[in-house]
Amino acid sequence: MGTTTSRHTQAVRWGGLALGTAFALAACSGGTGAGTAGGGDSSGKKATTIKLVAAEYSKDHTKAFWDKFATDYKAKTGNTLEVQIVSWDDIDQQSSTMVQNNNPPDILNLNAYASYAKDDLLYSADDVLSDSVKSDLLEAFVKSGSYNGKMYGMPDLSSARAMFYNKKLFQQAGITAAPKTWDEFKADAKKVSALGNGAIGYGLPLGPEESQGEFSIWMFNNGGDWKKDGKWTINSAQNVETLSFLKSLSTDKLTQNNPGKTNRQDAFDLFASGKVGMVVGFSPLAATLDAAKKVDYGVAPMPTKADGGEPQTFGVTDYLMAFKKDGNKDAVKAFYDLYYQKDQVNSFIKAEGFLPVTKSGIEEFKSDTKLATYLETLPNAHLTPTDDPTWDKVKLAVQQNLGTAMTGDPKAVLDKLQKSAEAGG
Amino acid sequence: MTQTASAPVGATGDPAAPTAGRRPRRARPRRGRASLGQALLWLGPALLLIFGVVVYPAVELVKASLSRYSITGLRKGDAGLDNYTNVLANESLGTVLTNTLVWVVAVVALTILISLGLAQFLTKEFWGRRIVRWAVIVPWAASLVITARLFSLIYSYYYGTLNAVLLKIGLVDTPIDFLGDDRWIMPSMIAVGVFVSIPFTAYVFVAGLHAIPTDVYEAARIDGASPWQIWRRITLPLLRPAILVATVLNMIYVFNSFPIIYTLNESNPGFSHDTTITFMYKLAFKSAEKDVGQSAAAGLFNVLLILVAVVIYLRVSRWREEEES
Repeated sequence: MGTTTSRHTQAVRWGGLALGTAFALAACSGGTGAGTAGGGDSSGKKATTIKLVAAEYSKDHTKAFWDKFATDYKAKTGNTLEVQIVSWDDIDQQSSTMVQNNNPPDILNLNAYASYAKDDLLYSADDVLSDSVKSDLLEAFVKSGSYNGKMYGMPDLSSARAMFYNKKLFQQAGITAAPKTWDEFKADAKKVSALGNGAIGYGLPLGPEESQGEFSIWMFNNGGDWKKDGKWTINSAQNVETLSFLKSLSTDKLTQNNPGKTNRQDAFDLFASGKVGMVVGFSPLAATLDAAKKVDYGVAPMPTKADGGEPQTFGVTDYLMAFKKDGNKDAVKAFYDLYYQKDQVNSFIKAEGFLPVTKSGIEEFKSDTKLATYLETLPNAHLTPTDDPTWDKVKLAVQQNLGTAMTGDPKAVLDKLQKSAEAGG
Repeated sequence: MTQTASAPVGATGDPAAPTAGRRPRRARPRRGRASLGQALLWLGPALLLIFGVVVYPAVELVKASLSRYSITGLRKGDAGLDNYTNVLANESLGTVLTNTLVWVVAVVALTILISLGLAQFLTKEFWGRRIVRWAVIVPWAASLVITARLFSLIYSYYYGTLNAVLLKIGLVDTPIDFLGDDRWIMPSMIAVGVFVSIPFTAYVFVAGLHAIPTDVYEAARIDGASPWQIWRRITLPLLRPAILVATVLNMIYVFNSFPIIYTLNESNPGFSHDTTITFMYKLAFKSAEKDVGQSAAAGLFNVLLILVAVVIYLRVSRWREEEES
């Protein structure tokens, strides 16, 4: 008996070591299957096949659009467009792995570009955008897409935020109009919370998914910003005041449980369930609510800190960036030429429920009364400083830390973020 | 249980199946030597596999850990040992290591304890045993990501079934924030970890129990041993190999478990509830570091950590074995 046991021990030990190593390594090296099909490497020759890695905005529309686009692209240029759709959860990892393996796609759709431009991986708009396309893009997005004076981040679509409110809860609470100032906002949130029966005044998502977005729109409406005149202002007096205000909503129990750990989608889900009085939303949320027909909601401009202030909106755009590879320039240029044709870009944006990025797009979307609130503000929308590569890291730091201010000290949290931003992320 | 000289190791192709009664003679290899070419032919596929999935990634991992990467994933040059020192200097490292220890020890210990009981139950004859046995396998058969997602719904503060039940039977007045309240997150994750580890472990024990010859029990009963004595003096010692296998494998599985912690901990900012595995992932893709090099360094630390843990465990259990004899 003793002999078998000790033999087992031996076997188990070596088996264990081998397994342990294998699993740990497998865990580390996961995600290298990035596909080897990216054409265009053949030096000197012109690429006839290019690869697009696109983010999945919706299950129903994203793949359908890009597949059709690839067909149109083939018909128009004779080139092949390989399309790979990746979920937002995975796209950072996938794109990083592709670059790491020296096998980037020709076109990548992402919410950041500046770090790639800084690493000199991208074509600038001078290389791949026609003048007619460039002049059609909205100024705000040309600015946010430009790194060191050159445009690298071509906007694919945009969104702008606004205050969504539940009309039924407002009526029950005796509120007649959407709040215009922060004081009114807080008073309204109190009234809704006081309704009881699980009613929540305000859905505040400061969890890691997108806390920078929620904080942005509040800070812009208090005259604050992430960066001013080329300097980081994350811990400015206004921003500390803004975050403290958000914290006070939490401590006064006007929000859902644990706002520092609530992701945006969770807050949207709560609003869609009819429990929440107000939430900062955007047009895709409206589309979801319209489809479910459960909540009667209104959309209003954001309340401002100052009485009689001009409501500010937070705009977001994602980017289609083009990687420099031997021989792919013409094919990439043809891609952009086709994408920014009115019937392409605008039908994509319409299907996904977002907002246009071109002047001609705004003209086309004007007829849609539902989008009026956003379209007016879109050209003047504030964006996060996506043109600064440092922001790519600061954004992650914000996502991973901002929520802790709900139980900690807002100033300390912002001081720390400011410090890491000044140190270059 | 006397200790004799250990049998020759390296019996050909005999997997470490817990067939306790088998004589070593049968397993002893013939001494005829195969030529090198023949040996390579037989070993080839295994060697290729080992090279492909162990050696090559390991080399790449070491290379990555010594390189400086841009946030985009572009290699910028050599980093020396910077990545290692940066990981060691990470202010959350202490928390992460503590979490890992709690996670592995709690999940493995609870799994072994519960599985011991469950295995006893599953070896008894009763009506519907087949169904129960199948039911026990289910958590194992389901994908970890799906199980984790399911539990994040069960635990949910607003829509969770668990809170609904607790409120209904009046055990609590307000819902418990299982996945957001710092006191509850780790226990909630451990419960899921135990849930998915039990099937495998219980079946290892069932196999171990079947391998114990019935005549030993008969003899004990004739000698007038109580059920507790029988379990303590016969079942448990004869289950040792099975327990050893189950513990080591579980340590490795649980240590490397990614989906449960990543999914259930999704909405919590920072590293406060991460283990070294999710820490490694977040270093590469989610945290402000976003640094493949640091993540690779953390990955190497992970390998070392689990190796050391397993070796220590085996040392300790062997030491006890010698003391007993």
